[in-house]
Amino acid sequence: MAIMISIPAGIMANQEATQNLTENYNNTISAMEEQINTTATLIECSAASTQFNRTDFPGSPGFPSGSAQPFRFEREEVYINETIGDEIATIEGVKDVVPFIEVSSEETTSETMNSPRGSFTMSRPLYTITGVCLNSTVIEDYSILPTNITSGNPLSEGDSGVVLMSLNLSEYYGVVVGDEVEIYGESFTVVGIYNSAAQGFTGARTLYMNITDAQTVTDNIGNVSRFDVYAENSTSTLITKIATVIEAAYPELSVTTYEDRLANLENTQEMYTQTLNNAESTLSQTQTVATQEILIAVAATSLIIFFVMLYTVRERTKEIGVLKAIGFSNWNVMSQFMLEGTLISLMAGVVGIVIGSIGAPILSSYLLPHISLFGGSQGRFQSDFGSVNPGIASAVVATNVLDPQIILLAFGVAVLLGALGSLYPAWRAARTSPMEALRYE
Amino acid sequence: MSELVLETEKLDKVYKLGGRQVRALSDVNIQVKKGDFISIMGPSGSGKTTLLNMLGCLDKPTYGKVILDGVNITKVPEKGLFKIRKYKVGFVFQTFNLMPYLNAIENVELPMEGTKKSGDEKRKRARELLKLVGLSEREEHRQHRLSAGEQQRVAIARALANNPAIILADEPTGNLDSKTGHEIIRLLGKLNIDQGTTIVVVTHDSLIASRAGRMLFLNDGKLLAKEKQGTHLLKRELTCPNCGREIQLDDTFCPRCGKKL
Repeated sequence: MAIMISIPAGIMANQEATQNLTENYNNTISAMEEQINTTATLIECSAASTQFNRTDFPGSPGFPSGSAQPFRFEREEVYINETIGDEIATIEGVKDVVPFIEVSSEETTSETMNSPRGSFTMSRPLYTITGVCLNSTVIEDYSILPTNITSGNPLSEGDSGVVLMSLNLSEYYGVVVGDEVEIYGESFTVVGIYNSAAQGFTGARTLYMNITDAQTVTDNIGNVSRFDVYAENSTSTLITKIATVIEAAYPELSVTTYEDRLANLENTQEMYTQTLNNAESTLSQTQTVATQEILIAVAATSLIIFFVMLYTVRERTKEIGVLKAIGFSNWNVMSQFMLEGTLISLMAGVVGIVIGSIGAPILSSYLLPHISLFGGSQGRFQSDFGSVNPGIASAVVATNVLDPQIILLAFGVAVLLGALGSLYPAWRAARTSPMEALRYE
Repeated sequence: MSELVLETEKLDKVYKLGGRQVRALSDVNIQVKKGDFISIMGPSGSGKTTLLNMLGCLDKPTYGKVILDGVNITKVPEKGLFKIRKYKVGFVFQTFNLMPYLNAIENVELPMEGTKKSGDEKRKRARELLKLVGLSEREEHRQHRLSAGEQQRVAIARALANNPAIILADEPTGNLDSKTGHEIIRLLGKLNIDQGTTIVVVTHDSLIASRAGRMLFLNDGKLLAKEKQGTHLLKRELTCPNCGREIQLDDTFCPRCGKKL
């Protein structure tokens, strides 16, 4: 019974995990696609080494080398000089250069993920401050600000001392439009709240403000993180030409064009598809095994009930004879024994559910370890999709919760098996001749 | 009082034992009137229990018929027999056969399961019956806390539950010591007089059999022609045969003259 309950519970939780993953991936991919397609003329020039560095915590014996070790990702902030932008703007074919500064928040958040090999903690900045150039034509032409405003207003030209906050951050802080928030020791007013389209995307936890505000408050005057360079048209020869010029003049910049991003997207998609396929095939294999195990358990359960009831009927032959002699009909006797078998099975079901709810998470984490490993393997491409992780963490946690539907199902199965297993013994009891039964000792 | 409750006509029962035919009963004709207290005596193997099973619808005769309370039960289909067992017959067994997991009053209520009586009515009836057999104090006791005699009293109360036309007792004193056995047969006699219950007792104990009103004898499946009058006292005869004084039914000795009754 315990097995019967725990296996479907594990499978359902893991199905949910896979579904969550798929949803996350799909959202991320579609957001990326949209961004890439609307910005065909864009050449991104960012400080080359802006990336996350992984720090493994030493001195954790018992952990095999690999992804289950405790580790932390830290973003190394590398900036470039603002004036490079003015120089790039003079290159032939360049229409506009839009500077950005991205600074990690001082606050960090850590997420603990469980896997069968132990838990590990990942710590990362709570959010990213993005300073944008609040020039009305730039804002309009290149849609550099989120458009899905849920309350308040977007940022507009000349705004200072105000921020545009993501919905999940505002919920985290419990603030609404008009409230003050403190950033790097300075007070800012929340002017608007936006909802990020892609739940798992890095944009989900970004706070937008005027670039000069961001530079001042984070002590980065004259620094920027990247330039968005827009070409006059999207012909690939022009874009390649501009990219080559920039790369030659500023080797410290990492330049990505529309085609680069497209290739990137394809790689990412492929990687995800592979991961998902792996997960799905693992799941379906496990399901096959589990289905077999459930069938065996079901067969064993009804057989046990069958033999127990057969034995009971034999043991109590005389009692049956007495019942019939004092006027119990065949149907009375049969229903009595059916009821008994069902009750036994139901009690076994209750015990099974108790054992199952304790054992299911443990059992399924051993039976289905691959799903939990997603949290670990995620590290490989986390620099792009770091915030996909919470989704996975919650999916893994879901394994620990027993679905009430499963419990109901288990009760139903228990009743059914009890009735089924005691059908023949009860029928035999009912058919007993009272005279012979009375003689039985 | 001359209404027939039970009547058998040319009752025959033939068993097949390993290809050999055994005639357990042959040409048995019995007539039981309403209010009779009859004992059927015979050595073991004489067909007593077979006869009783036939009378109580537990077994079917090979030939002949059994008419119980005006119904030819040999013609009743198998599916309808339980109703006759439930409402027309009350069985008392040698081994009492109480349900060990039920207490005294629940055992008495058991035959009333599936009748139209409500829970309260069943409880009331069971209480009355336990009082009738002198076990009012033992209602909540289970089998293992009752003496053998008390268990048989509960079994008698159970047999009376649906107010049957006849009580069939198969060696009701067979598992009891002689003192308790006499108490039980006296209880049956009392029920016969007070309630007018028709009773047929099967026994091989001649002393017990002699306590009935009529004694029949069965030997080798045949009912003997001789029939004896038992010592069972009818209500009008509740006087001491020695001194003529009124006596109580339960008395073993006459309270006046001290003679054994």
